[in-house]
Amino acid sequence: MSGGGRISIFKKQHHHDPHSHAVHKPGRRLMHGVPLHFVHKRVAGGGGRNVNAPLNLVAFIDFLIVTVIFLLMSFSASGEITVDKSISLPKADNVQDVVEAPMVAVNGNQVLVDGSPAGSTRAIEDLGRMQKVDELFDLLKRKRELWKSFHPQKPFPGVCVLQVDENVPSLVVKSVFQTAAYAGYPNVSFMVRKRGKTAE
Amino acid sequence: MGGVDVGPTNGKRQTNIEINMIPFIDLLMVTIMFLLITAVWVNFSRMNANAQIPGPPDPTKEIDPQTPEKALNVHVTDNEFKLVWKQGATVVSETTSERPKGTGTDLRYDDLATKIAAEWKQQSSHQDKSDKKQDQAILHVDNRLPFKEVIAVLDAIYDCKREMVVENNEVKSFPAFNMSFSVK
Repeated sequence: MSGGGRISIFKKQHHHDPHSHAVHKPGRRLMHGVPLHFVHKRVAGGGGRNVNAPLNLVAFIDFLIVTVIFLLMSFSASGEITVDKSISLPKADNVQDVVEAPMVAVNGNQVLVDGSPAGSTRAIEDLGRMQKVDELFDLLKRKRELWKSFHPQKPFPGVCVLQVDENVPSLVVKSVFQTAAYAGYPNVSFMVRKRGKTAE
Repeated sequence: MGGVDVGPTNGKRQTNIEINMIPFIDLLMVTIMFLLITAVWVNFSRMNANAQIPGPPDPTKEIDPQTPEKALNVHVTDNEFKLVWKQGATVVSETTSERPKGTGTDLRYDDLATKIAAEWKQQSSHQDKSDKKQDQAILHVDNRLPFKEVIAVLDAIYDCKREMVVENNEVKSFPAFNMSFSVK
């Protein structure tokens, strides 16, 4: 298979009709009134080297197909895991792949479970000691019961993923961690950004 | 135009076909644009932790008193990391590692990771490949410590790997420790 695309060229039009200034034949008008004849000649390909560039379609289509295959392979139908915009995740090396589980987001002000508010982090910080976050506990417990009603034969995995901002104090993290464990989620994972490979 | 030529037809109906390249290229371009827009470029990962909460005793099981296992207690203080192996309340060994001062966002404790790996080799009782139990690491941190520091310590703990036999006698590398927080 071979092919070639060509850039169109301008063709000089000559008018011999004395009334041509009033009525024009349909056709190209671009570059018609430009008095720079050497430019016109050059663009039209006369004289010097031809400026038309043939494009090899075989290589072009090969490139497009390879790009399509690469993008299709990296395509995720389930979509991106949403991380709250106010959360900056810490980086780590020794990580595992993310699993599908309830997402508990903890930013500087509030706790969210799959996007729904489930408590305030300020209240924990103000108290100054570890405490159970009641709203979070109720939401997680409800999710656990819902999961059990859908999968009555399967053992509950008890996994939840915490998206915690890197500057949140440990007191809040420990309180959320403990609340999740009490709500039946003892296998807690912390979401992190995987650190890029560094030169050894 | 691109085409498929199957040779001379000998007077029969023409079997050569031609494909119009323009809609073909258009289709590829549109596919590329769609895939580029919907592509996921940022990959998130996770780090495991485990909460050990004592539950009510199982009435169907007989209570079998066992000697408590050794656990590595990692204390994060202002200037150092204290690594204490404890068996129940008994301190088995104790060592320290200097805590580097870092205020950046990308924290790493490489010295701590090396120290923990050395300690695990000396003290762990789960080093055999067929042993599927992990050692327990308990993290003691101050309530004010930022989460990024907790993750940096956790990363150092999980840097210590061991080999374990899984299904089909396959040997895989796993973290030597399973981490939990101290609530005290």
